Amino acid sequence: MAKEIKILIVDDDPDYVEGIQSTLINAGYAVDAAYNPKAGFEALESKKYDLLLLDIMMGRGAEGVMMARKINKDPVLREIPVLIITGIREQMAFLFPGQPVHPRFLPTDELLEKPVDPDLLLEKVSHLLELAEEKKTNE
Amino acid sequence: MENISNLTEFPKILVIDDEEIVRESCLRILQKQDYQVKTAPDGSSGLDLLKEYQPDLVLVDLKMPGMSGFEVLEEIYSIDATIVTIVITGFATVNSAVEAMKKGTYDFIPKPFNPDELRLIIHRGLERRKLVLETISLRNEKELLREHFAAIVSHELKSPLGAVQQNLYALVEDLEPVLTETQKDKMKRLQKRIQDLVKLINTWLRVISVDITNIQEHFGQIALIPLITNAVETVEPTAVRKDITISFQKPEALSQIVGDEGTLTEAIVNLLTNSVKYSKLGGKIVISVQQNPADIQISVSDNGVGIAEEDINFIFADFYRGKNLPEGERSSGLGLSITKRIIEAHHGSINVDSEVGKGSVFTIKLPLSEIN
Repeated sequence: MAKEIKILIVDDDPDYVEGIQSTLINAGYAVDAAYNPKAGFEALESKKYDLLLLDIMMGRGAEGVMMARKINKDPVLREIPVLIITGIREQMAFLFPGQPVHPRFLPTDELLEKPVDPDLLLEKVSHLLELAEEKKTNE
Repeated sequence: MENISNLTEFPKILVIDDEEIVRESCLRILQKQDYQVKTAPDGSSGLDLLKEYQPDLVLVDLKMPGMSGFEVLEEIYSIDATIVTIVITGFATVNSAVEAMKKGTYDFIPKPFNPDELRLIIHRGLERRKLVLETISLRNEKELLREHFAAIVSHELKSPLGAVQQNLYALVEDLEPVLTETQKDKMKRLQKRIQDLVKLINTWLRVISVDITNIQEHFGQIALIPLITNAVETVEPTAVRKDITISFQKPEALSQIVGDEGTLTEAIVNLLTNSVKYSKLGGKIVISVQQNPADIQISVSDNGVGIAEEDINFIFADFYRGKNLPEGERSSGLGLSITKRIIEAHHGSINVDSEVGKGSVFTIKLPLSEIN
């Protein structure tokens, strides 16, 4: 790997983060974690990340959705590819009626369901990173 | 208990009667007990008072000048149907009292009445009010619980399981070079069991939180033969393990029906899976389709263990499992209940015929659409 790829995980479950972080680190990524949206935004301001892993149900509700919407409004942050990881795929239709099972909160996002098979996780991560890279070279 | 009912500590009673002596005697008799009592001399002022006073129980004289007792009762029902009403009636108007009761009045008390009669009837009326309020609050609680269940289950059960599984994945990776084959196998078993649990929770969530009637929005024309063929292919790998054959008896031609392909396939798969589960090794399952003038009938029959008579009325209920589940098989008790909901969302019906030791036949009927 020529340059270190930086990934930020925003998820309020430290145990879960521990598991997923280890898979990503083993695969050679540099991984930081934030356990709430506020810390997440602070991290995003402090450093440039190549990818964001975002949990939907945080805190008292769907705080991840709010975070995604806020990111989408920011002209710089919205360029970061986002992988949404959620435990609630089954209830998506229920929480967001009238939308497809994968409501695109962001133009670039992808969605995976917790727990994520490591191979699938790494595949999605590298796919999203490739897409972002292509987009950059096209511009 | 006080949380369940919101009947106040001093129940509120309203007396609407044009005769002053009746109002006065009610006040006198009831105020001695722990009741709050207010009175009104006619229907319209009574209703005005009712709106701000919000009584638990109203005594209404049927015969009053101006607004009649019946009109007052009707208004009360439309304002708050949980308020218990009791009519006061003269001897000559007992028939009207019966009429009022048919329309929802709880009871009547004939004039003249003695204090004990009044106290008794008020006491019973308030018991009634308490029951009504309790029922309503229980029903609301049940609804609320149902609505929140999905969220609760997802966070309280799925999140920890997800964290366990994710760490197990990581652990397997980390230990890859040092684990022996049997240790790896144990890890796989652990992962499989957790995965099954996650799947099970998802199925529950589906039952609780997803309104299956929503599928009607996606109805289209469906050809059943390819759909059933597809369902059979899905179940075959499981059937083969128990050396069970599934044969599909196709008709020459079949009209299309209107429905949702995904859920209908799920319904057929559920029935077939169920038959496989309740079949013995080497069993035979037959699925057949037949077109009737008004509907299409799909039957799934097996020569399995059958359903006990005491079970048969409950097998379509949520979380119900028959007692005859063969060893080594698992059941969430949800497959048939989901299937029934899917079929009903298609305006169809599902029935079962079974004999213990001989097998079961499940029959689905789906209406042919009027357009055909």
